[in-house]
Amino acid sequence: MLLLIALIAIGISWQWLHQHLSGTPMVYIYHGKALLATYPLNPEKPIHFEAHGDIGLSEITIDKQGVRITHSSCATQRCVLSGHRHRIGGILACVPNRILVSIQGSQKQPLDAISE
Amino acid sequence: MDTSQEAPKTPRPSLASLEKKAYWLGLLLLASGLHVFEAAMPSLGPWFKLGLANIITLIALASMGPKAAASLAIGRVVIGSFFIGTMFTPTFIISLSATLASTATMLLAWRFVPRISLIGISLLGALAHMCSQFIVVEQLFIQQVALYYLLPPLLVLSCATGWLNGALATYITAQLNIRSR
Repeated sequence: MLLLIALIAIGISWQWLHQHLSGTPMVYIYHGKALLATYPLNPEKPIHFEAHGDIGLSEITIDKQGVRITHSSCATQRCVLSGHRHRIGGILACVPNRILVSIQGSQKQPLDAISE
Repeated sequence: MDTSQEAPKTPRPSLASLEKKAYWLGLLLLASGLHVFEAAMPSLGPWFKLGLANIITLIALASMGPKAAASLAIGRVVIGSFFIGTMFTPTFIISLSATLASTATMLLAWRFVPRISLIGISLLGALAHMCSQFIVVEQLFIQQVALYYLLPPLLVLSCATGWLNGALATYITAQLNIRSR
């Protein structure tokens, strides 16, 4: 009974979250509260970004396969071992370095701003 | 001149009390061992662990009561972190705070929910552990609500591991002839 209630509650929250995850997939890179960079998820050429965190550098690569952390200064390297994320809602985090890489939906098409 | 001094007489602990302490210590060592073993296991995901050491907390709760279970849960995180080498790192802070939250939830469930089983207690503990882990990471380290996108799928996995650990604890307590209430 308790398991059923828990699963229903989780299902509803999951559904609610995914309603807020639509649009063009964009990669947002944060250090704590600060937004460091924003890139489209599937760029023509691979993008390499160096995020300066609390304990050093986190190297982030965005290419056709998705986004991944390729190098990190942290001891555990869990963020590097997490591999690629390629869907909206995907998250990569390096907790010791306080770096978050999040794929979120942008409601505006990114090209609109250029064409206007 | 008589230089001999009488040693202060302290009451000798009873055998039952010594047995209880030894049993608790055995459980603590077992839980710490499982904590270290789980850290050495190939990771099933960056935010996810099976929580095998919680089986021992549940056994302590069923056999010795809430105080022994709480001290065991905190003790095994401290000892386990010492051996893994994560003492006072972010991992330790997350682990300790999540353990405190899940233990408090389990003890409250044990105390106030009538006829709750070890599976139910374990399930609530696993969910509390996962939620508190995210709250601590969001508040202290990452500070972005986008982090919570990861939470629902991990809560589903927590339900599975919470149920499994509860079932194992129920089986072990039955084998040891421990009455859970």
